[in-house]
Amino acid sequence: MPAERAPRRGGLRPGMVWQIAARDLLTTLRDRRTLSATILMPLILIPLFTLGLPLLMGNLIGGQQQARQQLGVVGTLPEGLRRALTTDETLPDGTVTRAGVDLVPVTDPLKAVRDGTVEAAIQPGGPLPARAGDGTGTLKLYAKLSNLRARSGAFGKVQDVVDGYNRQLATARLSTLGLGADTLEPVRIQPVDASSAQEQRSGQLAFLIPMLMMQFILAGALATALDATAGEKERGTLESLLVAPVRRAEVVTGKLLATATTALTSAAFSVIGFLLSGLIMRAYQSANPGNVATFTQAMGGQLTLSAVGVLTLLGVAATTALLISSLLILVGIYARSFKEAQTYVAPINLLVVLPAVTLQFADFLNTSAALYATPLIGGMLAILDTVKGSSEPAHAALAIAGNLAGTALFSLLALRSFGREEVIFRN
Amino acid sequence: MLDIQNVTKSYRAYQALRGVTLHAHSGEVFGLLGPNGAGKTTLLRILATLLEPTSGTAVVGGHDIHHDPEGVRRAVGVVNGGMGLPARLTGREVLRSFATLYGMTRAQADARIADLDDRLELGRTLDVRAGEYSTGMKQKVVIARAVIHDPPVLILDEAASGLDIFARRTLLDFVHATRAPGRLTVYSTHVMSEVEEVCDRVAILHEGNLLNVGTIPDVLARTGASSLERAFFALVRPDAVRPEASHAR
Repeated sequence: MPAERAPRRGGLRPGMVWQIAARDLLTTLRDRRTLSATILMPLILIPLFTLGLPLLMGNLIGGQQQARQQLGVVGTLPEGLRRALTTDETLPDGTVTRAGVDLVPVTDPLKAVRDGTVEAAIQPGGPLPARAGDGTGTLKLYAKLSNLRARSGAFGKVQDVVDGYNRQLATARLSTLGLGADTLEPVRIQPVDASSAQEQRSGQLAFLIPMLMMQFILAGALATALDATAGEKERGTLESLLVAPVRRAEVVTGKLLATATTALTSAAFSVIGFLLSGLIMRAYQSANPGNVATFTQAMGGQLTLSAVGVLTLLGVAATTALLISSLLILVGIYARSFKEAQTYVAPINLLVVLPAVTLQFADFLNTSAALYATPLIGGMLAILDTVKGSSEPAHAALAIAGNLAGTALFSLLALRSFGREEVIFRN
Repeated sequence: MLDIQNVTKSYRAYQALRGVTLHAHSGEVFGLLGPNGAGKTTLLRILATLLEPTSGTAVVGGHDIHHDPEGVRRAVGVVNGGMGLPARLTGREVLRSFATLYGMTRAQADARIADLDDRLELGRTLDVRAGEYSTGMKQKVVIARAVIHDPPVLILDEAASGLDIFARRTLLDFVHATRAPGRLTVYSTHVMSEVEEVCDRVAILHEGNLLNVGTIPDVLARTGASSLERAFFALVRPDAVRPEASHAR
């Protein structure tokens, strides 16, 4: 028998902790599915979500403006209105910013819209004014209002054109009375954005970043945590580990270290995914300097982080990884099998997703100190603040402390479970 | 080497062990015989410090299970039929990993692995991932893992369960080979032939009670049975055993 070590009773021996962690990490590293979830998914999905999806949506919606839709017409329209509807709006260089519509005579506008012959249809309720002072008229506009494509296409164009036509007639009428166009709008509101430059730029990205980071931390932690707990029980390897001269606290800490490492690796690759998105965005902007504003708007904003912001993100991400890892280990050790553990962790997924989705409405939240100190939630808020550029060190510190307190609590509970016969030998 | 004093274990109303006291000595292979549910695994888990006894104590390899559980764990190697291996690690990686937990250097671990390779005929198994092992290959590596630190006390709990004839033979030969001064093997099984082949003394456990302890000839003499199996039945279900004479007729 080799020479025995003489450790202090009850203390954590880093070497032992690392041995437990290394064993679990090696097992994780050899699992292709886990590697995909930890490394490949963030690298692929984040650029896809942050670049591809907004661009796709922007192109789809913007494409509606450039496309010519079929607009059904019942009866006749004043020539000025007909011309305004069918004429393209262009930039001086000839670029079409909004295409006109093709007018198609129809007899039953409702049927024509419903069967898709036309995207929208108009039907004057009587003679429409052709000149200033001709009186008023009604124009029925038929479209499938629940259909976003229809609303952003022909329906929207008719509304814009009729607004312009009304303004044109009203201005002409006022002119005959010796009044200017300003008469219609005696008081004008001039909005002034009080947001910081970063808040103005961040836009929708601010909400996406904490959500995606939390998701990838969870995804990275999940496989390792369940394999290191329920998986070990199921394979019969946990008993052999517990019969070695290693303390339960070292087993729990080692497994926590391994799980948090994979969770953080996943989070790190999610940050790399964001950086990749930023590089692609910058490359596109360099190639298209005239479209920077349009592109930024289509992207839902752009992200700029200071060094302090990066450190805050890292601190919150690291403690969130520890928190989620300790919770998963606590739940995983209670399960009899990997499959059973997967059932138990399903609500944890919701626990991460639902608050993250709610961050869209973070502006309505009363963000008290208690909320920042709430494990997980406080971290999400701190990431959101950092991305928006409105982070306060005290809030970030509270979020980190909350996560660490949660980690300590879950770890102690996990340690207690590892010491309970009915949990370890539950079958 | 093994001193068990009045050990009881209860799970709520169920009493798994009822005041077991026994002693096993250096240089012997000690059999623990009993049907499923007799309390064998519970007793062995208590000896390995995986379970706490409800009352009583034990000293294993010179270490008290209450006062020096880590010392006990360094002194024992445990194999049971349900133990497995991490599917994505090779046998060598598993053995090196456990050697480190016992404080062995890489050189010590590799030398010991080479020794166990000879004794357990591990061969190419060592460098294949455990997920690809047959039951026999797996159990050989599980045994190697249990004895990687060369423990003075080896606890085998239904270790031959599910093994084919070749792997079972390797295991029994290994148990024979471990019989030496300063060493004790506790061999728990419900298979009488294994006990008859490898054990010097045997304890018969039934429903948490220790019914008999002694050499196999002693047990046979005390029960008047002609085989260990009949002696076992005479002890655990005396009313259900027909007399030897009527059986012979």
